[in-house]
Amino acid sequence: MSDSSVSSKNLFGYVAEFANATDLYHAAEKMRDGGFRRWDVHTPYPVHGMDHAMGLGKSWLSAIVLGGGVTGFSIALFMQFFTQVALYPTIVQDKPTNLFTVPAFFPVTFELTILLSGFATVFGLLGIMMLPRWNHPLFNSKLFSKFSDDGFIMVIEARDPKFKRERTREFLEEIGAEKIEEVAY
Amino acid sequence: MAGLKDGDDFKDGESFKNPLILKGVFGLVGFGGLALFVALNFLLPEKRGEMSYSWLFALVFFLSLGVGGVFWTLLHHATNSGWGTVIRRLMENLGSVIPFMLLLAVPFLIPNGYQDDLWEWFPKREAALEKAEVAAEKGVSQYVTEKQAEIAGAEAAVASAEAELAAIESPSAGHRAHFDRKIESLKTKLAKLQEQDLSEAAVHETLVDKNFKKEEALLHVKKGYLNEGFWYVRFFFYLIVLSGIALALRHWSIKLDKSGDPGLFLWMRRASCGFLPFFATAWTFLVFDWLMALDYTWFSTMWGVYLFAGAALNSMGLLVIIVTLLRHFGYLKNIVTLEHYHLMGKLMLAFVIFWAYIAFSQFFLIWYANITEETKFYLTRNTEFWNLYTITLLVVGHFFVPFAILLLQKVKKLPLVLSGVAVWNLVMHVFDIYWIIIPERGPSLTAAGPAKDMLMVMPGAWLFDVLAFVSVAGIFGFCLLWRLGSASLFPCRDPRLDESLNVVN
Repeated sequence: MSDSSVSSKNLFGYVAEFANATDLYHAAEKMRDGGFRRWDVHTPYPVHGMDHAMGLGKSWLSAIVLGGGVTGFSIALFMQFFTQVALYPTIVQDKPTNLFTVPAFFPVTFELTILLSGFATVFGLLGIMMLPRWNHPLFNSKLFSKFSDDGFIMVIEARDPKFKRERTREFLEEIGAEKIEEVAY
Repeated sequence: MAGLKDGDDFKDGESFKNPLILKGVFGLVGFGGLALFVALNFLLPEKRGEMSYSWLFALVFFLSLGVGGVFWTLLHHATNSGWGTVIRRLMENLGSVIPFMLLLAVPFLIPNGYQDDLWEWFPKREAALEKAEVAAEKGVSQYVTEKQAEIAGAEAAVASAEAELAAIESPSAGHRAHFDRKIESLKTKLAKLQEQDLSEAAVHETLVDKNFKKEEALLHVKKGYLNEGFWYVRFFFYLIVLSGIALALRHWSIKLDKSGDPGLFLWMRRASCGFLPFFATAWTFLVFDWLMALDYTWFSTMWGVYLFAGAALNSMGLLVIIVTLLRHFGYLKNIVTLEHYHLMGKLMLAFVIFWAYIAFSQFFLIWYANITEETKFYLTRNTEFWNLYTITLLVVGHFFVPFAILLLQKVKKLPLVLSGVAVWNLVMHVFDIYWIIIPERGPSLTAAGPAKDMLMVMPGAWLFDVLAFVSVAGIFGFCLLWRLGSASLFPCRDPRLDESLNVVN
């Protein structure tokens, strides 16, 4: 995909390759300080501290998980307490049917809390990452595919509010990009 | 990455200058309290029973913290961990307090003292055996006469069967076979009776056993485990295993500080894997003998792991507090980072959950099955004062509060808040151990009198509990400070030091 064939309207963003993890790390710090929002890095292996270099905040996945857990806890406790104590008091082995019956409901409550937390984790993560999807514009780039082999890749999307076609390209070169490719939708 | 540290910069270690005033205060409170406690035992002999429970409570609490320290050291080696090398020496120091704590358990060894007050099976077994002895003494001659009569009867039966066969003139083959079988079986019976050892000593032994079973059936069933001889053997087993492991690991680790020989590091890993089963056995059976046997009729298969969970959680909490204090006074500044706090906080959260899981499982199975011999433990602890205590302190205080706080990621990276949670947990652990031991005191000490006088809580006895706790706390603090000052604060030439210094999670 040659650069000239991509119109401004059709531009997804830039894919830039860096020489090594260190260059990419420092470039990420500069991107962060430059105030870019819609960008990401892709490396063949995890780079310690990259989240700090990129200025990533805390993921809000934990909030979704907490929501799932609380939902599971409440549903289980309510369903059991309502049906077994309030609606139709079920007396088992002369055990009380009041607040002190609650220990009997713990196993189910525990399980449902875990189950819905687990679901919230998996589906919440998929939701945040907008997966599954059929395709992604980045798959149009030959350069990008190197990230799973030996490439240290940075991607900046054209919809970033700070993105300017010429200026951003110059900026990428300035911070040490060795190869830059335009990617179309 | 910013802040990369090189283990070589720390190879000389960091020594801890003992704050003499603090050490003195600990020593004074500890040994002064101990002297006062011993004096009270002689001044108020009628209160000795109450004081024995106080002593056990204080001792088990501090012993469990030391045991937790050994557990983390063993786990660290056995799993070949890298994150905690910088705090491993503190774990080892915590563990090295165990021998001193076990020395304080010497009163339990004296017969007819604390032993009888705490563990009713000692006096009950003794009394039952004495009674059985007296009954056996009387019964020997009667038993021998009875047995001899039985033998004579059996001999007569054989003779009469033989005579019957001889009286038949010409028996058929079937007839003969019938008599042969009959005579054969009668002869076997006779041989069995004759085999019996009717010497006086043997008869005596049989009769004692029989009468013991009649007196105390439960103690008779458990006689293979609950007997004085084996109890003493086990006591020394705990002493040797727990102290030996703690001291050996610390010794090798300090040797590694000096020599820097990686072979020692590998050796510690191998040794830890071998130590783990012994360590687990010793602690499990120690709490069986000291705590579960407070009521010899009761048993729980969750007991060992329940006390282990509390020990592991709270020694990690104590480590957090110690690290925070050391950092406050300028030690370990560039060594322990917020990453280590985060990791320790995560382990605390895990063990808060683990403790609750075990505690609830133990309660739940017993409550649900509702079998008489198992429910006794919880019935005692759900009566009067203890009911509210259990629900508010153990259910809410020991689980829900620290769980909710530790769930937040931020909290685990705030040393002061995390230390606050650790202090809270330690207080709850005090209540947990108190709840295990003290409810047995009232019923045990007053059970001999009339039923209407039985007390669930001994009035005023809490004063002894406080005194015992403060004394053992003082001795614990004194020993810990002394151990802290006797070697580098972290294993300075450990091969994994670099990894631990730069840990990120």
